[in-house]
Amino acid sequence: MTDLGTVWRIARRELRERGRSKTYLITSVVTALLIVGLILIPQLLDGGTDDYKVGTVGSGNEPIIEGAELLGNANVEPGAEASISVTQVDFEDREEAEAALEAGEIDAILVEGSEVIVEAVGGFGESPIVSFLQRGAASVELESIVAQEGDVAADVIQIMTSDPLEITTLSGQVAGDESRGAVAYAGLLLLYGAVLLYGSWILSGVTEEKTNRVVEVLLSSIKAWQLLAGKILGIGILGIGQFTATILIAITTIRLVGVFELPTLNAFAVVNLIVWFILGFLLFAVMFGAAGSLVTRMEDAQSVAFPMSMIAVVGFFVALATLSDPDGVVAVVGTFIPLTAPFVVPVRAALDAIPWWQYAAAVVLTIGTIVWLVFVAGRIYAGGLLRYGGRVKVREAWQSAAE
Amino acid sequence: MLSIQDMHKAFGEVVALDGCTLAAARGTMLGFLGPNGAGKTTAMRSVFGLMRPDSGDVTWDGHPIGLEQRRRFGYMPEQRGLYPRMKTHDQLTYLGRLRGMTATAAGLSASQWLERFGLGDRGGDAVETLSHGNQQRVQLAAALIHDPELLVLDEPFSGLDPIATETMAGVLREQAASGKAVIFSSHQLDLVEDLCEEVAIINKGLIVVEGAVRSLKDAAPIRHLEVEVDGDASALFESLSGIRSIDSDGNRHHLIIEAGTDVRGLLVAAQEGGRLRHFSYTAPSLSDLFREAVK
Repeated sequence: MTDLGTVWRIARRELRERGRSKTYLITSVVTALLIVGLILIPQLLDGGTDDYKVGTVGSGNEPIIEGAELLGNANVEPGAEASISVTQVDFEDREEAEAALEAGEIDAILVEGSEVIVEAVGGFGESPIVSFLQRGAASVELESIVAQEGDVAADVIQIMTSDPLEITTLSGQVAGDESRGAVAYAGLLLLYGAVLLYGSWILSGVTEEKTNRVVEVLLSSIKAWQLLAGKILGIGILGIGQFTATILIAITTIRLVGVFELPTLNAFAVVNLIVWFILGFLLFAVMFGAAGSLVTRMEDAQSVAFPMSMIAVVGFFVALATLSDPDGVVAVVGTFIPLTAPFVVPVRAALDAIPWWQYAAAVVLTIGTIVWLVFVAGRIYAGGLLRYGGRVKVREAWQSAAE
Repeated sequence: MLSIQDMHKAFGEVVALDGCTLAAARGTMLGFLGPNGAGKTTAMRSVFGLMRPDSGDVTWDGHPIGLEQRRRFGYMPEQRGLYPRMKTHDQLTYLGRLRGMTATAAGLSASQWLERFGLGDRGGDAVETLSHGNQQRVQLAAALIHDPELLVLDEPFSGLDPIATETMAGVLREQAASGKAVIFSSHQLDLVEDLCEEVAIINKGLIVVEGAVRSLKDAAPIRHLEVEVDGDASALFESLSGIRSIDSDGNRHHLIIEAGTDVRGLLVAAQEGGRLRHFSYTAPSLSDLFREAVK
C-alpha cells in the first residue's frame, strides 16, 4: 500500500463519516439560509409598493401629485413593481381634510398646489411623501419655466433624477466600486469564517482521536503525517464543497433578486476566492492539527487554538484596513506576510488593486510557508499525539517525535 | 520471533524500562506480568513504534520492525481506542484497509469476526451503543482483522465477565495454536497460569522471571503441603525438616516447605494412624512466583 493510498483512505473516512454527519448537513443548511437571508432581508424590508393617500383641497394639486409619483418611480426598471403609488382624495375644505389627517386616513394634505399639511415635521415622524410632493411641485414649476411645446414633464424628471457628474475619489476608485467593495467585504467574511470553521473541525477531529485513544491503534499501522494529511484532505474537500456551494448560492440569489449589479463577479473573482480559501485553509489546518495533538481533552482544545484564532483575527483586521486603502502600506505589508495574505490578497484582488507580481509572490510565499509548516507542525503533531495527560508543551512534543 | 533487547526508556525522572529483554516465539502464548507501573505498557508500545526507546532494539525474526512489518501485527492498547460514533462493521473494515487489506477482504473478515463474537447483527450499530464487554470484543476483532503474525494485547481481560473472558481466552488459544505469537499482559494470574505456556515477569523496568510456567514452578525453591488429620498433628511435623512456615486452621494445616524435602515419611505416618483426611503436595502457583519475584 502506498503512502498516498493511506492518506486517501483516511480522507475517505472523514468524507464519509463527517459528510454524512448531522453537523455537516446542519452547518451547510444554516450557512445557505444565512446567506440567502442576508441578501433577501434588506430587499424584503425595502421591497413592495408604498401606498400614500394625499388629501387635496382646492385646485392645482393634480400635476404635483402626478410629478411626485413619477419622481418616486424614476429609478424603477420598466415592467417592475412600482416603488410608490399616490392616491388623491378630494375634500371640500381644509377642516374636513385636517380631520381625516388627524384620523390617519390620509398621509398629507395638499392645499391649492402651494401648501402641504402633515402631522409632524422632521425626524422619524415626517412622512416620506413630503419630499416626493416637494419634488413634484418643483418639477411643475420647472415645466412652466421651460416653456416648450408639448409635455416635457418626463424629460424634466429624467434630468432631475440623473447624476450627470462622474464621481472619482483620491485613491482612484471610479463609480461602481461600491459593489466591488461589497463583494470584497463579503468574500473576506466568507474566507475568515471558513478558515476558522474548518480549522476548528481539524482541531476537534485531532483531539477527538486522542481523547478516545483510537490514535494508538491507528499509529500502530500508519505514520502520523499520513493521519494528519488525510484528515486535512478530507475536511478540506468537505470545506471546499460547502464554501463553493455558499458562494454559488449567494451569486444565484443576488442575480435572481437583483439587489445590485455585480460588475466584478466574473470567473476570476470566484477562482480568486477559492484559491485563497484553499491556501488559507491549508495554512491554518496544519497549525490547528498540531495544536489539537497537544491536548487530550476537548475542553482544552480551545485554549491551544487561541494563537491561531488571534492570527486569523489580526489577518481579518488588516484586510479590513485594506478595504479602505487597498494600495496602502498596511495592505502591501499584509500581502507579503503569509499569515495575513489569505485575508488581504483576495480583498485587494477583488478591488482590482494589486499588481500581478505581488499576487504571484503572495501565492508562492504562502505555499512555501505551508510546506515548511507541514514539517514543523507535522513533527509537533506526531510527538504530541502519543503523550497523554494535561497539555503537552510544544517543545516536549517536538522532542518526543520519533521522526 | 519477537525480541526486545536491553531496552531503556525514561520519562523525565521516571525510569520505565531499565534494560528490559524479552522474547515471544511463534505458536506460543506469553503472559506478560508485572505490578502497575513496572513498564509493561511501555515495552508493548515500543513494538509499534509508539514510544521511542532511549536505547535498545525491537526485532521480528532478527530484523528491525518497519511500518510494513507492523501492519502484519495486531495491537490492542490498554486504553481502548475506537471511533465511538462509527458503525462497528465500517470501523473494522477501515482498520483492515489501513493495514493494507482490500475492501472485500477487510469487509469479509470484519463480518466473520463479528459473527464469531456473537455480534453479527450489530455491525450497523455505532460502537458507543455496545456494552463494555462487546466493545472489548470489537477491540480484539480490530487487532485480529488482518490475520496478524503477532498479537500484542495490553490487559485484554480487564473488566470482562466470566463468559466474555472464556470467549477471549478461546480466541487467544486458537491464535497461538495456529502459529501466531501471542503476548498479553494481565493481572489475573490464575487465568495466565491456565492459558500460557510461557510467562515473563517485569519489575521496575527489568524482566525478573522468564520461562515456561511448568519449569518455573518446578524450579521454585518451595512446595505447598496441605494436610488434614484428626487430632493433634504437631508430632507428625516434628520429623519433617525444611519447614518454612506452618499455618493451621483447626485440623487443616498449610505448610510451606523447601523443595527438596521428602514428605513420603509424613504421608506414611499420617496414614498409619488412620486419621488422614486430606493430603496435597504442590508446586507454588504463579501468584506465589509473582509475589516472590516482585518482592
